[in-house]
Amino acid sequence: MTQNIRLAACALLFGTWAAAASAQGDTKRGEYLAKAGGCLGCHTEDKKDATPFAGGRALKTPFGTFFGPNITPHPQAGLGKWAEADFVRAMRHGRRPDGASYFPAFPYPSFTKIDDRDLRDLWAYLRTLAPSTRASQPHDLGFPFGWRFLVTVWKWFFFTPGPYVPAPGISDIVNRGAYLVQALGHCGECHTPRNFLGGPKRGRFLAGGKGPEGKDVPNLTPAGLKKWRDSDFQDFLVSGITADGDVPAEAMGEVIRNTTSQLTPQDLAALIAYLRSLPPLPD
Amino acid sequence: MNKKLLFPCLALVLGSGAGYATSVMAQAKPDVLVKQRQAVMTLQGKYFGPMNAMAQGKAPYNVETVRRNAAFLDNLSRMPWDGFNPNTKDEKTAALPAVYNDRAKFDEIASRLENEASRLATVSRSGDEAAVKAQITAVGKVCGACHNDFRAKK
Repeated sequence: MTQNIRLAACALLFGTWAAAASAQGDTKRGEYLAKAGGCLGCHTEDKKDATPFAGGRALKTPFGTFFGPNITPHPQAGLGKWAEADFVRAMRHGRRPDGASYFPAFPYPSFTKIDDRDLRDLWAYLRTLAPSTRASQPHDLGFPFGWRFLVTVWKWFFFTPGPYVPAPGISDIVNRGAYLVQALGHCGECHTPRNFLGGPKRGRFLAGGKGPEGKDVPNLTPAGLKKWRDSDFQDFLVSGITADGDVPAEAMGEVIRNTTSQLTPQDLAALIAYLRSLPPLPD
Repeated sequence: MNKKLLFPCLALVLGSGAGYATSVMAQAKPDVLVKQRQAVMTLQGKYFGPMNAMAQGKAPYNVETVRRNAAFLDNLSRMPWDGFNPNTKDEKTAALPAVYNDRAKFDEIASRLENEASRLATVSRSGDEAAVKAQITAVGKVCGACHNDFRAKK
């Protein structure tokens, strides 16, 4: 009898533990997803021995300079006081815990497409980081772009919240690639040209042109990629260098180091398969 | 002839000769300058590529190749810059106008490459594989930093 009660208690305990573990998300998966999302780039200072995810990267745009904030779990300097729901709101809806909108320099128009499970795992991973005391800097924006309420208007035009819905009639591989490119990888944030309001030109998805820092970025549709063989392109996205020894602009060099070289071979192949499936748009 | 005069005369003749020589150099045709600097860039890629592969563990590490390539790269890294003469501004190349409009920054990044490449040549003789690999990566970052600001997309 007592034995049975003990067993039942054990089972109950184990049950709640297992439930809590799954509710908390998988930190290992989260770490991989953080690489696929390239979080490190904007959320780490551009200097030697900078603390990863402690913020400080400057992103110079026509609207001003944005500084990636500290996203380590420090209660004051970082996200230590956030609940998972705060993180989900930020990523899915581009809103701060106080309800105000983030500037879309934080690429939530892409991150909104990340699915629930991946968000949960990402959050679980961020919680495992060592808290850093590094204070986040305020953005340095030109008039009138510093007015945060204008972002609300911007979002009416250019922001559609909601996770990626796999398209019917295309292979799982291409759908996976689309998810990696559109949601986590946020490739379009640089490779899709923007209009004067900073909104993406939808008809020119991934067609290249002027990037957010005013520099030319390449066309990723088949029109731009036709000179690449799959194997060469895959090597390039892993090694950061072409077979001829040519090195891309450092903006992409960093993406290759932090993101594409870290993807599993299957994910990288899916990413390329998706790009190959896009409608070819001339430069 | 007065010996006292001869010397200054000689100096004048030689001096103007030297001046003539440098002005001939400065007048190298823009299209040739472009060809030369592109050739240097091509060779830099040729010798950097294999080292980069080794730094990433994609090719077996070979001390001899690294030493040779690093020494080549050290020399090559000093060669492209006078090819970016302002007289090449109108040639059709991937060089952005910033090369000529923001010369101070361009020169700074050029000397950074020279420094990192020369450091690589030095470390490559040390036999410290980890340090060599780190330095190869450092060189690659300077390549990319310059392409970021001064070269049109490819």
